[in-house]
Amino acid sequence: MDKRSSVFFLGAAAIIALAGFTAEASAQDKVIRIGGLFPMSGPGAYFGAQDKQGIELAIDQLNKTGVNGYKFEVRFEDSACSPLPATQAAKRLLDQYKPHVVIGEECSDATLAVMPLMAQAKVPLLNAGSSSIKVTDPGNPWTFRIMPNEVMQGVDIATNAYKRLNARKAALLYENTNAGIGNAKVFAETFKNLGGEILAEIGFGRDVNDFTAIATRVAGLGKVDVIPTYTLEGQGLRITQALAQASVTKGGGGQAIQLGTIWLPFGFEQKAGKAALGYVRIVQFDPTDKRGVVQDFVGTFTAKYNQAPTHINAHAFDQILVIADAVRRGATDSQSIRDLMATTKGFAGVTGSVEFDKSNQNIKMDTIHYMETLPDLSWKALGWN
Amino acid sequence: MSTVILQQGINGIVFGSLYVLVALGLTLIYGVLVQINFAHADVVTLGAFAAYFFTFVFGGNYLVSIGVALVVGAALGWLVNAAIFAPLRERGSELLPLIATIGASILLQNAMLIWFGPIPYAFDSPYSNAVLRLWGGTYITWQNLIIIGVSTLTIAMLYAFMKLTYMGKALRAVAQDRETAGLMGIDPNKLIMLTFVIASALAGMGGAMLGPILVLTPFAGTTVIVKAFAIVIIGGFGNVEGTIIAGLLVGLIESYTTQLVNPGLTDIVVFTLLLAMLALRPTGLIAEKREENV
Repeated sequence: MDKRSSVFFLGAAAIIALAGFTAEASAQDKVIRIGGLFPMSGPGAYFGAQDKQGIELAIDQLNKTGVNGYKFEVRFEDSACSPLPATQAAKRLLDQYKPHVVIGEECSDATLAVMPLMAQAKVPLLNAGSSSIKVTDPGNPWTFRIMPNEVMQGVDIATNAYKRLNARKAALLYENTNAGIGNAKVFAETFKNLGGEILAEIGFGRDVNDFTAIATRVAGLGKVDVIPTYTLEGQGLRITQALAQASVTKGGGGQAIQLGTIWLPFGFEQKAGKAALGYVRIVQFDPTDKRGVVQDFVGTFTAKYNQAPTHINAHAFDQILVIADAVRRGATDSQSIRDLMATTKGFAGVTGSVEFDKSNQNIKMDTIHYMETLPDLSWKALGWN
Repeated sequence: MSTVILQQGINGIVFGSLYVLVALGLTLIYGVLVQINFAHADVVTLGAFAAYFFTFVFGGNYLVSIGVALVVGAALGWLVNAAIFAPLRERGSELLPLIATIGASILLQNAMLIWFGPIPYAFDSPYSNAVLRLWGGTYITWQNLIIIGVSTLTIAMLYAFMKLTYMGKALRAVAQDRETAGLMGIDPNKLIMLTFVIASALAGMGGAMLGPILVLTPFAGTTVIVKAFAIVIIGGFGNVEGTIIAGLLVGLIESYTTQLVNPGLTDIVVFTLLLAMLALRPTGLIAEKREENV
């Protein structure tokens, strides 16, 4: 090979390498980076484990073809359902991963803590599991929520308790967090306005283990019709069992009906056992829903994980689809994802519909599904919404 | 109302008994070594998981699982002492073992998180929901009866061991003066190891009985251990009798605060008592000379 040929080949090789690099860089640029802020440790860790499954399933499906030429990737950080670790995790994500959009947290206190960081970084935060009204009222322009807030849930539960269950006396049990206190307050106000009576409002810390004493106190209140309960899964299990042991609830031969929230995962009844009999609770996802999107999700999820999906899996799945919907409509970066998510309309996810109001709160109520626990610990969809 | 008050008394004694089991281990170690073992909480958790897996995975009997948890706890106690306390003790530092046990605690918690996962386990023993109706509308579950029975028996056996046996007396001698005990032919290192084994066995056993009450996750023990530390201080660091009284007292205070005030205030009441004890009676409920402890 003479000198001219060598120069030619070297030049050609350089051009090919440069073209390859440019193409690779371009392919890398066509990725939407999603930060996942979820509790992977502590009492809310079950959220993170289930969120991760739903998110990974959605991304697997979307990345088969891509959306508008974009693929999706996610990095998770453990936010521990608590303000301090959540802010630390959010800072790590923003500094190191530079996400276009962040999803999470599940616990209201943690979500409220990371919201200012996201607003400052101008990165949209899409939430699916926090119920505190403060997340979107006043909220900030960068935070969105697809889950019904505590007012939407609380008013609905209290109204149904009064009108459909004919409840007149209630005892409230709640964890002492923003979400626990807020949900209980909304229920109490609505129930009292309807003419009901609140016999006791009992708050407790997340470190309480033994609920026998609390169940004894509820038993001492006399006739109680409903017991709205706002806790994470672990404490919820023990409360349900303690109330049954004290013969307060139907599961223990009593008359009271326990009312639960979206916070509890599927499978709660099987863990609580007979004590859960008659428990009425709302979930964000009805696996018996006949819509194609739901049945497809149930099928693909079961095939991938060899287990039935929970509503936490479902709302995590929907978070990714809401982002993908914005990308489908032309979003390419944080600002356009925020702007186009704000104009979401007619989105039909597996949990229900999504349409945001001016404060970025989903206004659709079809994401609330009421379920009642039957004697065989299966569910009956009550179809109240 | 009297039924409710009586019921809260029963509830308080049950949980107080569990607190005592966990706190006794802490007080034993402090009494002999003047050291705090922060990994004690994780021995409780591991004991609960040992009982869970023995019962639900291997199909074992729950009552036998309490013994299994005791053995697992004892083995872990031996390991923590051999791997952490003994080598650091030889260096003569008092601070290093303390910090090392914090490290061991974090290590164990995260190892359990990997092994067992983050989702709470539903650990119900066959006795968890079997209720025994007592007089005047009061009740107790068979699980709680087992807790009271096993705790009482264990405390009695521990007391007899410490007061009546040669090993128990030797242990007390080491607690009083390690060097002099050594001159009398007692091997302090062996007895320190024994202390760790007994303390951790109690914690493991406590875990097996707490499992059906606790929200069983890799972090379960930490929710109990804070109260256990408070009980050890209220009872008098290293004082077995004081720890027993303080444990039952804290259990009762929690129950009656829940009934008469608010369950959200139980920690405030318990820790106010702790601060009051530190300010007014720093030696604890039973003021003894340190050499008479353990």
